[in-house]
Amino acid sequence: MGRRIVVTGLGAVSPIGTGREAFWNALLAGTSGIGPVRSFDTSRYPVHLGAEIHDFRPGDHFVVLDPATVGRASQLAAAAARLALADAGLGADAVEPERAGVAMGTTSGEPREVEAFDDRCVAGELDRVGPEFMDLYPCHSIAAAVAAEVGFGGVNAMIPTACAAGNYAVAYAADALAAGRADWMLAGGADSFSRITFTGFARLGAIAPELCQPFDRDRKGMVPGEGAAVLVLEPLDRALARGATIYAEVAGYGLSCDAHHMTAAHPEGDGAARAMERALAAAGVGPDDVSWVSAHGTGTPTNDRLEAAAARRVFGERSRRVPMSSIKSMLGHTMGAASALESVACALAIATGRVPPTINYRERDPECDVDCVPNEAREMPVAVAMNNAYAFGGNNASVIFREHRP
Amino acid sequence: MNAFGNGAPPGPRRDVVVTGVGVLSPLSDAPAALHAALCRGESGLAPIEEIETGGVACPLAGQVRGFSPAAYLGEGNFRPLDRTGRLATAAAALALAASGHDPDDPREWGLVLGTMFGSVRTIAEFDRRALTAGPNYVKPFDFANSVINAAAGQVAIWHGLRGVNATVSGGAVAGLQALALAADLVAAGGAEVLLAGGADELSFESLVGFDRCGLLCGSNGHAGDPHPVPFDARRNGFAPAEGAALLVLETAEDAAARGVPVLGRVLGSGAAFDPSRGRDAASGAAAVARAVRGALAAAGLAPGAVDCLAAGGSGSRALDSREAAGVAEALGERAATLPVAAVKSMVGEALGASGAFQAATLLETFRTGELPGVAGLEELDPGCPLAAVRREATALEAGVGLATAVDRHGGAHALLLGAPTRSGIPQEGD
Repeated sequence: MGRRIVVTGLGAVSPIGTGREAFWNALLAGTSGIGPVRSFDTSRYPVHLGAEIHDFRPGDHFVVLDPATVGRASQLAAAAARLALADAGLGADAVEPERAGVAMGTTSGEPREVEAFDDRCVAGELDRVGPEFMDLYPCHSIAAAVAAEVGFGGVNAMIPTACAAGNYAVAYAADALAAGRADWMLAGGADSFSRITFTGFARLGAIAPELCQPFDRDRKGMVPGEGAAVLVLEPLDRALARGATIYAEVAGYGLSCDAHHMTAAHPEGDGAARAMERALAAAGVGPDDVSWVSAHGTGTPTNDRLEAAAARRVFGERSRRVPMSSIKSMLGHTMGAASALESVACALAIATGRVPPTINYRERDPECDVDCVPNEAREMPVAVAMNNAYAFGGNNASVIFREHRP
Repeated sequence: MNAFGNGAPPGPRRDVVVTGVGVLSPLSDAPAALHAALCRGESGLAPIEEIETGGVACPLAGQVRGFSPAAYLGEGNFRPLDRTGRLATAAAALALAASGHDPDDPREWGLVLGTMFGSVRTIAEFDRRALTAGPNYVKPFDFANSVINAAAGQVAIWHGLRGVNATVSGGAVAGLQALALAADLVAAGGAEVLLAGGADELSFESLVGFDRCGLLCGSNGHAGDPHPVPFDARRNGFAPAEGAALLVLETAEDAAARGVPVLGRVLGSGAAFDPSRGRDAASGAAAVARAVRGALAAAGLAPGAVDCLAAGGSGSRALDSREAAGVAEALGERAATLPVAAVKSMVGEALGASGAFQAATLLETFRTGELPGVAGLEELDPGCPLAAVRREATALEAGVGLATAVDRHGGAHALLLGAPTRSGIPQEGD
């Protein structure tokens, strides 16, 4: 076997709380981070809900970089990285910087920078566009900002596979460690609240007018959000040697592509099911071993129905009983951060023996015949957690986390 | 060492070979013709046509002129694909055909695409339409393409690639990064056969953005004529470009079983990051050196085994110096006599596509025994420690080629490719 990879640090910046403890307590309490959009005027839109972070101050977290030299998603990401390293108890002197790398996912990179460019264009002020546009906009500036803030000089990957990107980043990081390309990895995802993203989902009619209620019979859509999460991943032997707190082991992952439609999932959830099956095979566990599923669970009528269908294919009759929460009911859809935040939830579910609920759940949908842990967190041992994420472009990624047994 | 690998059972790393190449470049859409033009020192750079330049004075750019997707993909509905998606999908068709792809191949084919922007033009036009016409008047097609992984998704839909589908974005290193990731996945058993490379289109938005940072040859702070000549003393920025290039990577065993020719082998890759984010020259060069050393270690090769370099050199004042210094640091005395190709002197900086153009150059060098030079080179920068950089092509029997790339945000990548028949490297069946 290759090296076993474990999660030893967790950092989250989210609409419902910043830092491992605040985030987790808010999730277990069923806190909603969704409210009227404040970062731009939505009066010309038919919908108005977003999941924004209102109290974020990058200066509270940044040590090395000037936050003004990076975009908002990078600010969220670097803050999450600082939180994760602190949570892992990894000081600067404990890491060989050249053996320490970063893998980050995103949907849109730094869309606010291109929005600022567009504002100038539309106002006829192209001459006022300065170097900040190209300095801040390219999406790989996020992974660069994280690495520069924490001083990591090893592998550095930006993986913009949209709403599955956080899982891709965890998978990439686990591979980098297992193959010996790095000894410490920060893996996660980030996106900022964006006019472009909001406009697009509004145009698709995908945004919920009042509530995000995944798996509910009356669900009407998703809610765009923002956030960042970073996990510290290390080989098990190193984590044990330094006496680190081990939240969970990364047991395996599976990737697949629908090759069907850019924005609509495969009508039978085929790609989603293949990603889950591949992840189970990678982890060496069977469907019956899965204790809890962190669903993609956007709250759109189609996604949740197809996800339930894919779960039925993978779990069989047991798909009705495997607890399957959508924390997007609380966080909204934080895009490239979503599956990274959900990875944090998986690690904490395993470590604490509690799973967060799907809130706003009222009425069962026969087409979503799953146990979505309605409205109340649940105490239960979680030996194996599966994190599912699906994206535009038909990109599917499932990651399996497992309880670490000494 | 076994990687973790997307459902792969544990096992030894597998040999990864290249069995097809597809290119859409400013010079040609065929690897052999592109290579011949590069070896003749032909330039694909010319004044910008067909796109708005926003007043940017950029007299040289590398465009894929007259590109028509139907010429590569047959008749079909191209409306859902933007230019980046069309370039990538067409390059994929070329690569699939070159590798003898059989639609009944039972393996799950996949794709790892490197891109800097996806399409910043699609994203920005979508946003500007919402601003001017109102949010109800944007096109859903455009939103689908506003995600950075759109081109990879479009390629998968068009060609039915149901396996791994990943997009990596490291700016100028994205193409090499994609090739390295794909090779790792195939080596570890996480994928059987992958298209890998990159694509980016030239756009108004990227032109203006690069101009404002003073990165383009002969514009915004760079005095004199445009001189996008890598490693030249008088270089003054890069020529922006577009293109797409994809390689087919599979195991040596599968290639032998299919009976298709092997164009080259992936020997190893290395990556590093400059924590100064490109602000410190020494830190940047050190990152390049670490990437090259990593690739050598992964391949189990000494610096003396490297026969030639396909450099990422673009004409950038800062990055070319950094790349040359880093390669020289890693290769030691071998650097002084190392033949160097810098294809961006002729096709420009095509961002995500660049690394795959460099890889294609190495493969063609193995086949033809000729390595391109650096077109337009007048005087080698005295600060460039790669003393064998020259204008003309070099005749050489190369067994091992190195490709390197460095990005202004701090990324550095190195990829080592081997000739299909080099002695000392196991052949299929060994």
